[in-house]
Amino acid sequence: MAPHATVPTVPDGRADLDVPMLELRDVHAAYGPIEVLHGISLRLRAGSVLALLGPNGGGKTTTLKVCSGLLPVSGGELRVAGRRVNGASAAQLTGAGVCSIPEGRGIFANLTVRENLWLAGGDRAGLDRMEEAAYTRFPRLGERRRQLAGTMSGGEQQMLALARALGTDPAVLLLDELSMGLAPLIVAQMYETVAQLAQEGIAVLVAEQFARAVLPIADTAALVLHGQIVRTGTPADIENELSTHYLGG
Amino acid sequence: MTIFFTYTVLGLVLGAVYGIAASGLVLTYNTSGVFNFAHGAEAMLGAFVYWQLRFGWHWPAPVALVVTLGLVAPLMGALLYLLVIRGLRNTAEVTKIVVTVAIMLGMVALSQWLWNPNQPHTVDQFFGYASSFKVFGVSITTHEVITLVIAVLIAVGMRLLFHRTRVGVAMRAVVDDPDLLQLNGHNPQRLSLISWVLGAGLAVLAGVLVSPISGGTLDANVLTLLVIDAFAAAMFGRLRSIPRTFVGSIVLGLAATYVLAYFPSTWSWTSNFRISLPMIVLFAVLIILPQDRLQAAATRTRERYRVPSVRKALAGGVALVVVVFLLRLLMVDADIIVLALGMCFALMALSLTLLTGYAGQMNLAVCSFAAIATLVAYHAGVSGTGVGARITEWGVLLAVAVTAVIGAIVALPALRMRGLYLALGTMAFGVFVSDMVLADISPHVLPLLHIKFSLFTQGTLIIPAMRIGPLDLSDHTTFLMSVTVVFALLGIGLVALRNSSYGRRIAALKDSPVAAAMLGQNLVRLKLSVFMLSAAIAGLGGIFMAASVGAVTADNFSIFLSLALVMLTVSAGIGYVTGALLGGIMAGVGFSIVISSFNNLAHGGGGLSGLWSTLAHVSALLPALVGVTIGQSPSGFLHELFLGYRRMAQHARGLLIGAGVADAVLYVLALTKVVDNWWFGFLTYAGIVLLPAIAQGLRPALMTDPPPAPKPDWEAVGVDQPYTDQVRAALDTALALPATPRRTVPVAADPGPAAAPAVAHAVTT
Repeated sequence: MAPHATVPTVPDGRADLDVPMLELRDVHAAYGPIEVLHGISLRLRAGSVLALLGPNGGGKTTTLKVCSGLLPVSGGELRVAGRRVNGASAAQLTGAGVCSIPEGRGIFANLTVRENLWLAGGDRAGLDRMEEAAYTRFPRLGERRRQLAGTMSGGEQQMLALARALGTDPAVLLLDELSMGLAPLIVAQMYETVAQLAQEGIAVLVAEQFARAVLPIADTAALVLHGQIVRTGTPADIENELSTHYLGG
Repeated sequence: MTIFFTYTVLGLVLGAVYGIAASGLVLTYNTSGVFNFAHGAEAMLGAFVYWQLRFGWHWPAPVALVVTLGLVAPLMGALLYLLVIRGLRNTAEVTKIVVTVAIMLGMVALSQWLWNPNQPHTVDQFFGYASSFKVFGVSITTHEVITLVIAVLIAVGMRLLFHRTRVGVAMRAVVDDPDLLQLNGHNPQRLSLISWVLGAGLAVLAGVLVSPISGGTLDANVLTLLVIDAFAAAMFGRLRSIPRTFVGSIVLGLAATYVLAYFPSTWSWTSNFRISLPMIVLFAVLIILPQDRLQAAATRTRERYRVPSVRKALAGGVALVVVVFLLRLLMVDADIIVLALGMCFALMALSLTLLTGYAGQMNLAVCSFAAIATLVAYHAGVSGTGVGARITEWGVLLAVAVTAVIGAIVALPALRMRGLYLALGTMAFGVFVSDMVLADISPHVLPLLHIKFSLFTQGTLIIPAMRIGPLDLSDHTTFLMSVTVVFALLGIGLVALRNSSYGRRIAALKDSPVAAAMLGQNLVRLKLSVFMLSAAIAGLGGIFMAASVGAVTADNFSIFLSLALVMLTVSAGIGYVTGALLGGIMAGVGFSIVISSFNNLAHGGGGLSGLWSTLAHVSALLPALVGVTIGQSPSGFLHELFLGYRRMAQHARGLLIGAGVADAVLYVLALTKVVDNWWFGFLTYAGIVLLPAIAQGLRPALMTDPPPAPKPDWEAVGVDQPYTDQVRAALDTALALPATPRRTVPVAADPGPAAAPAVAHAVTT
């Protein structure tokens, strides 16, 4: 574990644009005895979109799990808004404004749409606000508010998952494989929403296997291979290199 | 018509109690995924606490109620969750079942310690029996009205909780995906805690309400089983839906009272049928209900078992027979009988090693299969009369065959069930056997055959010893050695079976039914065969057990005994034949020896008799404590012990041999009466259990794995630094490849052929 570093605090509590909303410094993480992240470093400023790209098993999902607090950091530092949050639980990080939407629809299939929104609010938003935010952006959810979430189409389920980010006003949004199993048109619509959220000042970290979907809205892209970041750069640069890495160099 | 109304009211009240109890069960199951077998015991303890406050200490009823429901019940639920249930995530279904069963048995033992079962504990209804109303010409007491009102309030309250409050909605979500709930900013542990507190409250409420209705005299076993009847009601709602659970409760309550009202009084089995009705319903509901479909993902659990080779099993079997023979030389007749009984239970436990340990199926009614075999052997397998009566080898074979067939008949509908449902189904069968078959005491005329017959004649069966060929087992030593040899042979047979292709197929069935099915296995045939085999072993053990006891009653086959056997076998290590040996001996005789020796000391008088009787009660709680620890080491304590001995055999062989020699000397001293038998037994036992720990203390460096090597500087390796085996090992670890054998690590100069493929593999990856 790294020694306790000096924390750049902001005296009056205002968001300082120079302090990244989310920062990983040489983060290591392991499943049991097997280390899978060998020192990931990332900086994510408010209002920017960072795309994590790479093939299966590279460590994208694990990186997001570490950021959301589901997997403990075994080395290095995780910082949110400049504060070291190593060891914080997922519920605590959610309270601090980190909204994480996991792979494969972050919804409760056996609850209705409304009940999902109710839970999604957590301690940050009431049902009214969640419903308003969700139904304004996705009117189709409003039509289905009493339906069991598991019985909706994949696109609608993903809308519901994304609605959590709309209503709870997070500072950091973590998205894992938003495009998985969805029609291209829906994917485009989803990322449009994500882009809007970023414009409102949210820091967005997107893990995506399907790179073309996310690159248009990303400010920066990072290529994750074997638990390490091999390249960071503009989306255009990374796009050119992708095929080489996907096919194995 | 009055009869109809009277029994309807009675049925509704009974249904209301079932509903209250069952809703608590559904609540805890949904938020923690643990089916609480101890629910009935919680109700029982609550009823006893209420009795103590209200009738023992004569507190006013409201105060007693507030303390029982507002203080004792929540405390009980919270302690259960925090101390035990919380540690059960990611364990196999059998572990979860065993732990709550252990809690149940512990609570029953605790209540019998605190409230002497030989003294009557009578509770009165609220406002007394005299306080009643007349509705449609039917008298209904205030207590019954209160019960009905509370049930309705709870049904409505639960509905509101689950659908109108955020905590309730979150409770419904927690079992689906606790991680996601955390990401939503909720604390799943807190939600489970709340539900266990509420669940305990509902159980206690049901206990307090039901005890005055069902006779008024508290009995720990009866009260516990009464609430277990609520399992059937909970199953109506598939352990999920509260409204359906209440409907099921009412149906169950009404059916039970209508049976009493309208079945002809000439039928001698009516009252038995009424008692076992909930279990019949439970079995039926389990069969009819649509089951969860096979899940594709293999469940990852924390249980691990090593499969021994047949050669090791052979050595173990021979060692067992020799050790038992040597022990026998030390013993007097009474001890030999006790040890033989323990071996009989070990034989019965062996059926669990095959069924649960190898094939991952559940059976909570081992003793009921034993009962069936005993019945068959008694009615059809005895030749000769009086002292000369013996069970013939054909009788044993017939009994074992019939038990196997019954096993298949029970398993056939159970084939679609898995895990918890299967456990509940077999438990229902077990209680059914106890309440219907073993309660068939008075002779009645059989239809068609016109002979007087009863299955369990007069409530006690005299089971003679066996004669197998020239071998007469009426001699104690012969009996003990025969059981031991049978156990050893079956144990070796099971290990051989596990190492055969059949064994690999049932292991596949355990790990992933879907994968096994996709490999072309016939799951039905596999399950059926394993059930039959297991039932046959249980039956064989049962005949030996009955012959060892001599005169058996229904208590020898009670469901509590089956549960204790399962629990102790699992905590010893259900995946091992040794686990069956230890679990069986513990369940059969181990703890009763400890308890009775403390009791003897207590009756011996002297200043310490209070202490001794307290110790006797504490040891009655021991089995439950053993069972609860399994949450910490789900593979059983033998697994840990074996691990220690394996390390010792590798690193500290001298100590092992020294200890063996010391024990041999001790044995000779005991044989020549220089040392007391008790000391020999105690020191040997302590030595076996503590030796790995002692070795750990003496040679810590040998017993622990070497610390991980420092990480090589990857960029310099192969350029400035040589490729060493340490580097290769580190590479393999980093890439999660199978580790190269540790022996090659110190050889730095010559990589050797063994290490080369791993390196090649690592480089190309």
